[in-house]
Amino acid sequence: MYRLLSAFIGVLITIMILLNGVLSQKLGNYTSTFIIHLIGFILISIIVIAKKNKINFSKDIPIYLYSGGILGVFTILFNNISFNLLGASLTLALGLLGQSICSLVLDHYGVLGMRVVKFKKEKLLGLIIIASGIVIMTLY
Amino acid sequence: MIIAIVVAIAAGACIVIARNINSILAEKKGLLTSTFFNYVTGFSLSVIFLLMSSESIKQSYGLFGTVPLWAYLGGLLGVAVVAISNIVTSKISAFYMSLIIFVGQLFTGIIIDYFALGILSLGKVLGGLLVVAGLIYNLYVDRKVKDI
Repeated sequence: MYRLLSAFIGVLITIMILLNGVLSQKLGNYTSTFIIHLIGFILISIIVIAKKNKINFSKDIPIYLYSGGILGVFTILFNNISFNLLGASLTLALGLLGQSICSLVLDHYGVLGMRVVKFKKEKLLGLIIIASGIVIMTLY
Repeated sequence: MIIAIVVAIAAGACIVIARNINSILAEKKGLLTSTFFNYVTGFSLSVIFLLMSSESIKQSYGLFGTVPLWAYLGGLLGVAVVAISNIVTSKISAFYMSLIIFVGQLFTGIIIDYFALGILSLGKVLGGLLVVAGLIYNLYVDRKVKDI
């Protein structure tokens, strides 16, 4: 179920990148990033109001937990820089490398309050197969 | 070149860290609140970057009409991505989530290329199948040890 939802997120991201790409080509990187966030902000505000959901900003949790959106903007900017210099497929492959390394570290140590998923040596074979798949995709 | 490579890898790391931070906030404050704050901070920073850049809304105002309406819908999909990610992130390993999302992206990309451009990239299909194979093997290893 959650794996299916993850695959669905991938489907949505691909369509989103396509749409956002058209927007940034026509309007520029920063203007399109602004519009994308503006539309998202309006939509989530409407949902919050319609559901009568109370928003309370409280200081009883670490302030960095509110920083997810900031990292999101950096993700878009970094991707744009890399996209212009290295092209689409290499940007995607290197991004996946960054995600993999970062996820394995977070999983192994259970950083950021996530549950610990220790790395096992048997999984090295699977990783090598995955990496070779990524290399083939990047080359062709 | 080196900077572009480092930046591309950093973008991937940013995605994972943002996803985890948002999901912790969702656990503490609720799904909608977490998604809302993601957009409060993201929107604020995008305004600051726009003001610092050489682009301006006034300048591009005339161009808004030239963009097809559907191209503006990406922002809506973004909300769905952030909200669904908030649900899934705390449930499965960060590593598998990244990979399964990637597989979803890859095959959607292949399908779009095929129907929109009439291109079927054999290298991408073969590579994608290898990624899936490696993923299934590792899931099998985990199943055996039974901690996922």
